[in-house]
This record gives sequence, structure tokens and C-alpha cells, in this order.
Amino acid sequence: MKDAPELADFSPEVERHIARFLFERAQPLLLEFDSAWHLINLQGDANRFGFDVDNAQAGARQLQDLFIGLSHDESVDLPFVQMPNGRSAHVHLLVAGDGYRVLLLDAQGEHDRQQAQQQTSNEASLIGYQKGKAIAQLRQIRSELEQQRARLQDANALKNALIATLSHDFRTPLTSVFGYLHLLETRVEPEPDAETRHALRAIRRNANYLFTLAENLLEYARADTRSSLLAPVETDLQAMQEDLDGMFRPLAVEQGLDFGIELERVDETTPVLDELRVRQILVNLISNAVRYTHHGEVKARLAWKDAALLIEVRDTGIGIGEDYRERVFEPFNKVGQAAGSGAGLGLSIVKRLVRQMHGTLDLQSTLGKGSRFRIVLPGLALAKPADAPLLSSDAAGGTQQRVRSVLVVDDDPDITHLLEVMLTDLGFRVRSVGEATLAVEQALANPPDVLLVDVELPGLSGNTAVFRLRAKGYRGHIVTLSATPTEEARKVALNAGANQYLTKPINIDQLARAMQRAVSAA
Amino acid sequence: MSAMARKICMLGDFGVGKTSLVSRYVRNTFSDRYLTTVGVKVDSKEVIRDGRDPLKLVVWDIAGKSALDALNMSYLRGASGLLLVADGTREQTLRTAIDLLLQSRSLLSGAQAVLLVNKLDLVERWEVAPSTLVELRKTLPVIETSALSGDGVDQAFVELARSLDP
Ligand SMILES: Nc1nc2c(ncn2[C@@H]2O[C@H](COP(=O)(O)OP(=O)(O)OP(=O)(O)O)[C@@H](O)[C@H]2O)c(=O)[nH]1
Ligand SMILES: [Mg+2]
Repeated sequence: MKDAPELADFSPEVERHIARFLFERAQPLLLEFDSAWHLINLQGDANRFGFDVDNAQAGARQLQDLFIGLSHDESVDLPFVQMPNGRSAHVHLLVAGDGYRVLLLDAQGEHDRQQAQQQTSNEASLIGYQKGKAIAQLRQIRSELEQQRARLQDANALKNALIATLSHDFRTPLTSVFGYLHLLETRVEPEPDAETRHALRAIRRNANYLFTLAENLLEYARADTRSSLLAPVETDLQAMQEDLDGMFRPLAVEQGLDFGIELERVDETTPVLDELRVRQILVNLISNAVRYTHHGEVKARLAWKDAALLIEVRDTGIGIGEDYRERVFEPFNKVGQAAGSGAGLGLSIVKRLVRQMHGTLDLQSTLGKGSRFRIVLPGLALAKPADAPLLSSDAAGGTQQRVRSVLVVDDDPDITHLLEVMLTDLGFRVRSVGEATLAVEQALANPPDVLLVDVELPGLSGNTAVFRLRAKGYRGHIVTLSATPTEEARKVALNAGANQYLTKPINIDQLARAMQRAVSAA
Repeated sequence: MSAMARKICMLGDFGVGKTSLVSRYVRNTFSDRYLTTVGVKVDSKEVIRDGRDPLKLVVWDIAGKSALDALNMSYLRGASGLLLVADGTREQTLRTAIDLLLQSRSLLSGAQAVLLVNKLDLVERWEVAPSTLVELRKTLPVIETSALSGDGVDQAFVELARSLDP
């Protein structure tokens, strides 16, 4: 290996060239000082570094500051020093006898390049740091939200359990109260004494009230539990009319009101409605009307025409002021509470039920004169197998029905177990696998009547499995289960080839309906 | 006679606010734009110390580094004092400041040091815990500063000047 060439190795011509090149680049400025740092000589372009030639001594002092604290018997190199005019220079202190020589070489170009590089890298690292911090914060927030959600889910589960219990605990005794009340009313008529009559009316009024209140509270609490899925059934409007009449006439008559429920049938078709919801609307509207009407009349009208149910309830009661028109439909509203109607839930429930049934609601009212509620509920389509019994062996009603099979695909053993229990209760034969690839194999080898598949599976996703099955010509009914309750997710699942999309948490009614639909489609 | 002059160096990680602190102290200005320092910029300001001669502080603002290399060492030579700067919103820069102090000891055994924890105006985003500063105060003077608002800045320079002799 050859050493780097010494200057002497080059020809004088090349040497001169190098010197000129470097000289032009460095634009050297040489300042010579005596031992007391008085400037005695200056060579080069002083302006370039911002030294005022006429006041060179000031500039000299600044240079001197660079060497504070250093012993002045050895040379010093200070790269990239910012000069008075902001230019960057390499500063060299050369010790020369009893004076100093300071050599400045221009370093601005080098400085700029280095600065650009350093700026980019420093900024990138600062941003990276901030980003990391923001992400950590988001993680923290998410985990807190998850904990909160878990707590809410627990609370919700508790609430649902409570509601289920309450529904039962309320209805059972009320059923018997109404039963015996009716018995007494028919026994003591036609000529009960005033006191007996009064007592019977009081019992009926309060039982009615308790019934409505309990149903409303349950409906209110159920809001998110029971999905807004409707339960269409063929509805006997006449039976409904009679029930409501029996429930409210005694009270209305007692108050001296002209009471009547009129039924008009224009269409010959059998109305298909969500009967329980319709009944709840009527109970609320009529009980309000009777409560707030002290003289005059309470009239209800039911009409089935143009495949829609028209409900009209009008009274000559206290009326609702303009200002309160909107507010009476809010839950726990003060208007209702002030008027003594208890929780003030009735109309908010009516409004919700109407919305669930895609109906319209109109209120006209004059303070002191009375109110008229008008509701139109479009008739529903009867889910085909609605009147066919569910497929449980006892519900099958003795008809010889083949036991249907379901293949459950879910990786969570608890959910799988729950589904197995529910489906077995519904009369299905259940197989289950925890993984999608296996599910595809099994479904092809031994096709079940219904395939129930979770979307969020480890490895191959549920949607992918469904897609693969369809791509292989699988034609069985597929129900997709997912924890994502968005329209987007539903579309993705249906596009993949599922027939139905259910969201978790699964509730037995929903599952039953889905399975019914699945089997009837098969 | 001109005042006695002493060299002090700003030492700390990049972006902690060394240049900003010097601008605040020397020119009473602040910019929120970050322009990283390459090499060194030297400024000076005279400090009045009660009962003693005024002192000219020659302040070396050096490019931020997390460790001292040969270049930085050449800038440090001759310094009588160090202003170590950390950024309160980045705990790591506090560790860097301490590391730099330890590394500088081999070169500047007698130098005085004051620790500045900067960006006090962003205190709600600080990662440095108060208890950490309590511990550090047992070994060296610690001053919380803000180049933005000026809080603690003069105090920090004066504190260092006061500890320099004569
Ligand atoms: N909010 C706030 N920002 C500050 C403060 N001090 C400095 N900054 C900002 O922090 C950034 C970096 O400041 P500089 O003073 O350039 O930091 P430095 O330590 O000199 O950085 P290097 O030269 O790269 O080592 C700039 O955007 C400043 O505006 C402060 O006290 N408060
Ligand atoms: Mg800087």
C-alpha cells in the first residue's frame, strides 16, 4: 500500500492548482496579534466574516473570547464557529513567538449541508418520540374504555337478568289479580251496593295503573336488550277491542265519561301486526286519556284499511300546551310527572313503539279542550313460518319432523357451549368446530342444515370460510355471528355469502327467529 | 480595566432549548422555530454580582449531543462553568444531561455546574417527576426554566456566575 502523496510528490503546476482551489474555497483571513492581543496585521477579506476593518479591535476582542481559559502556548482548532455576521468559519489559533495568529477559513457551505442533515434527523426523532407518546396514550385510553365497556356489559347483563325476573314477577300476580277481579265484577253485577262498586273500581284502576307502569318500565329498560326486530302475527283486532274495553270502561263510566272503542274494517285482509306492541300503545294512550279527562268523552277508533292500522284516541281532557308538545314524548318528563301520571314514561314509549313499527304519530291538542292522538302503523309481512311451531320436539306438535343439524363454528368454548345449549333447546342436533379451515372441510363432507359461523376466528376468518364454501358450490343456509354491529360489517358478511347476520351478544329470541328463518328457507 | 471574563458552556441533548435560553438571556428574544445548532456560537453578557467585581460571561452554545465526542471536547476546553440543559417534557434528556456532566468531568474537573430543566411553560406535559428533581438537588443546583416565558432564565445564569471564583 502506498502512503497518501505528500505535497512534494506533485508537480509545481498541480500544486499551484490545488492551492488555488483550496484558497478559493476557504477564503482565508489571517489576523496577527501581539502578546497583548492588539491587532497588528490583517490579511484577506475581513468583510466576509463581518469584521469591520475600521474597527478591527472590537472584532479582535470577540475572537479573543474564543480562547478564554486556554493556555496560549499551543495551537487550537475550533471548527464551525459562528462569526459576528452569522457566517460559519473554522478557527485556528497558531502560536507565533510572543504573539498570536488567528486563521479563519470559510465553512459556511459545509455548515449548511451538515445543518440540513442534522435538522432532518433531529426533527424526525422528535416527531417519532411524540408519535410514540401519542400512541401510548391512545393505548391507555383504549384499555380504559375496554375496562369501562366490560363493566357496562356486566351491569347490562345484570340489568337484563333483573328485567327478565321482574317481567315474570310482575305479570304472574297481575294476571291473577285481573282474573279474580273480572270474576268478582261479573259475580256482584248487576246490582252491587255503592261501596262494593267503589272498591272494585279502585282495585281495577290501580291494577290497570300498575300494569301499565310495569309494562312501560320494562319496555323502557328493555330498549337495548330487545332488538327492534318486530314480531308480526295475525292480529285479532276485535279481541283487542274487547280486552281494552273491559279494562277501561268500568273506570271511564265511574268518572261519568262517555267511553267507546270503535272498530272499523275496510280491508278484508287479516291484519298482520306486532300485536303486543300495538296493544301497549293503546293501553298507554287510553289510560292517559281516562286519567286526564274529568268530564266529556274518551273515544278510541281502530281502523284497518289500505293495509295499515289507524289508531285514533281523542278526549275532552286537560289538553297539552303548545310548549309541551315535544316534551311530553321524552322519558321521565316533568309535564307528565307534574300531572300525576307517575314516571312520565307512557308517551315516550308510545313514540318509540311507533318508530319501531315504522309508523307515524300525530298529536293535536288544545289546552283545556282536549287532545287527539293519531297513529298510522303499516301492516307487516308475515314471516313465512310464523305460525309453524318452532322445531323443538315438543313444539313440533307430533308431526313427524326430521331433526335438523347445525354446525357451529366458534373459537370461544363458552360461546360454543352456550350456542349448543340454546340450539339443542330449540331442537337441533349440534356439531361444533373451533376453526375455519376445519369447518369448511366438515361442511363440505357432511353438509349441515344450517351453518352458524363466527366472523372473528383465529387464522382464516369466518367471512373467508363462508366465501370459500360458496366458491365451492356450498348451498346450505349460513348464519354469520359477529361482535361488530355495523351495517358495513353486515354487508361484508352477506357479500361473502352468508344468508343472515347476527350480532353478539346473542339472545335466544333472536337466535330462535334466525334459525326458524334458516330452516324454512331450506 | 475590562471585566473579568469566564467561559461557560451550554450542554445538553438536541432540541432541549440551549440556543433559546441563550437568546432569552442575552437578547431577551424567543422564537418557537427550531433551527438546530451546528458547531458553536459564542455570546457574552456581563453579570453584576453583589459585593464582587462584575463578571463577563462568555457563553458557548454548542450543538446538542447525547454523548461527548472529540469535537465537543475541543469546545469545552477552558470552560469554568457548565449549564446543563434538559427538556422537562422528555425524561431521557435529563439522563443525557447527567451523563454529559459525568463525561465532562475528565476534562473539566473543577467546573461548576447548574442543571436547567427547561420548557416549564409546558409543565402539564412534563415527564420529569418533581421527586426526581428533589433527589438531584442534593447533588447540584437545579432550576426549572422556560426560554419561552423567561422564567428562571436570569436566575440560572446568575446562579452559575455566583459560583465562579473569583
Ligand atoms: N415551549 C417551549 N419551547 C421551547 C423552550 N425552549 C426552547 N423551546 C423550543 O424548543 C425547540 C428547540 O430549541 P433550541 O433552543 O433550538 O434547542 P437546542 O437545545 O439549541 O437544540 P440543538 O441546537 O439542536 O441542540 C425550539 O422550537 C424552541 O422554540 C421553552 O422554554 N418552552
Ligand atoms: Mg441550539
